[in-house]
Amino acid sequence: MSDPRELTIEELRARMRAAGVTITENRLAMVRKLLGDALVAVRALDSRDVKTLEPAVRFAPERPA
Amino acid sequence: MSDEIAYATIRGLGARYRKRELSPVEVTRALLARIEKLDPTLHAFVTLTADRALADARAAEEALRRGDARPLLGIPVAHKDIYLTRGIRTTGGSALLADWIPEEDATCVRRWQEAGTVLLGKLITHEFAFGIQFPGHRFQPARNPWNLEHIPGGSSSGSGAALATGLVAGATGSDTGGSIRGPAAFCGIVGLKPTYGRVSRAGVLTLSWTLDHTGPMARTVEDCAYLLQAMAGHDPADPASSQAPVGDYLTPLRRDLRGVRIGVPRAYFFEGVDGEVTDAFEAALGTLRGLGAEVRDVEIPSMHAAPSFLLILMAEAFAYHERDIREHPELYGDVLRERILAGALVTAAEYTQAQRIRARICHETADALTTVDVLATPTTPKPATPFKVAYDPELAFPRSNMAPFNLTGLPTLALPCGFSSSGLPLSLQLSGRAFEEATVLGVGHAFEQVTSWHTRRPPLAH
Repeated sequence: MSDPRELTIEELRARMRAAGVTITENRLAMVRKLLGDALVAVRALDSRDVKTLEPAVRFAPERPA
Repeated sequence: MSDEIAYATIRGLGARYRKRELSPVEVTRALLARIEKLDPTLHAFVTLTADRALADARAAEEALRRGDARPLLGIPVAHKDIYLTRGIRTTGGSALLADWIPEEDATCVRRWQEAGTVLLGKLITHEFAFGIQFPGHRFQPARNPWNLEHIPGGSSSGSGAALATGLVAGATGSDTGGSIRGPAAFCGIVGLKPTYGRVSRAGVLTLSWTLDHTGPMARTVEDCAYLLQAMAGHDPADPASSQAPVGDYLTPLRRDLRGVRIGVPRAYFFEGVDGEVTDAFEAALGTLRGLGAEVRDVEIPSMHAAPSFLLILMAEAFAYHERDIREHPELYGDVLRERILAGALVTAAEYTQAQRIRARICHETADALTTVDVLATPTTPKPATPFKVAYDPELAFPRSNMAPFNLTGLPTLALPCGFSSSGLPLSLQLSGRAFEEATVLGVGHAFEQVTSWHTRRPPLAH
């Protein structure tokens, strides 16, 4: 049984249809790996467990002298 | 032309100019001849600006005669070809922009010009700073002067190759996931990704708004400090530009490392690392200890989630390129096209979660940097990749030790720390607190003073 967190080729094709983009057939494996690897951590995250974590990123660009 | 001139430091060139031992015109002519000889093999330059360079050099000579003391006066440089240059084509390494001549300079280009540099030309970049040029592309990729069958790293590939071969004394780079530090590592030179907001990105082609950084590349840490000094500072044309005052990056270079605390985040950064990379890194830690630094392990628990950075990069890259890539997909290179289109497949929820993960990594890294002054890791897990591997159409995006510091926005330096058994450079990565470029440069400079890795020259240079 496949890992539910894994990006399947069927899901990849569904995403392509939804986004209205075409990806060359011989690049599908590359894109699946690219997106699948990037999604691992996101799919492991249960947002209900970390409610206080905001997406805002602070680089302190206005740090006082 | 002697190696002594081709590989002169910025301080060394300036001193010889002022003693009348060398002139900017003489150095410029010599470098143009060297480029003509070596670049047909190296492919570092996409556009050579010989007339402009000689005009800049003559202006520098005049200024020197008047006693002008600017440290970059007459220093030969070139810009990564995603930096806009007024009246000089700016291709982005792309067929889409192959003949584009901008009407404005990027802020960094203007600042280096005002500092008195000599512009030798534009340096090839991976296409739109994101994809190596495959065979058949409008532009050829730069080659690694240490081994022409290997890539020089990217995306600031021409910058790394030109510096390692002694064609320029300084170059600009940009860094979204390691594009300054990767070529620095693979070519055996020094690259600094400054703090997000420290150096303007105005007039530099975008890859990812929240990850893009601009910065200097050079052959020594001190040269990087000189170049940073001339490019750092607030720029109202860059919405992310910081108003924090610019410090002095040169004076702190003389510090020893007594009292400096260096942290090593062991998790994530050592997965899949070659044995000889680890050996070189551990030897570098030994050198840093010998200089008086205290070295200890630190933990950044969420770092394992760093690969989610690609969701941010791809989604933002697609947002930037969407109209062009939908209207002119044929003008995008193979693989790059698919990498960018993959950004259309990232959902809004996934992008948001990736930014939340990023926030957690930022907080944890900042926490680690309350207990140490600098983080040290290998810059790359392996030495330079062979072209035949880089051209594998199924190769996705390699695991990166550099991308975490694009997520955090912290200043991060890559500098030589050894060589592989196959003769390829290895690199040490040092990252510090926000706006503490001087600390990172200081540690790197101290390391450089007691090692000789940065003095080795690639076979192509001889």
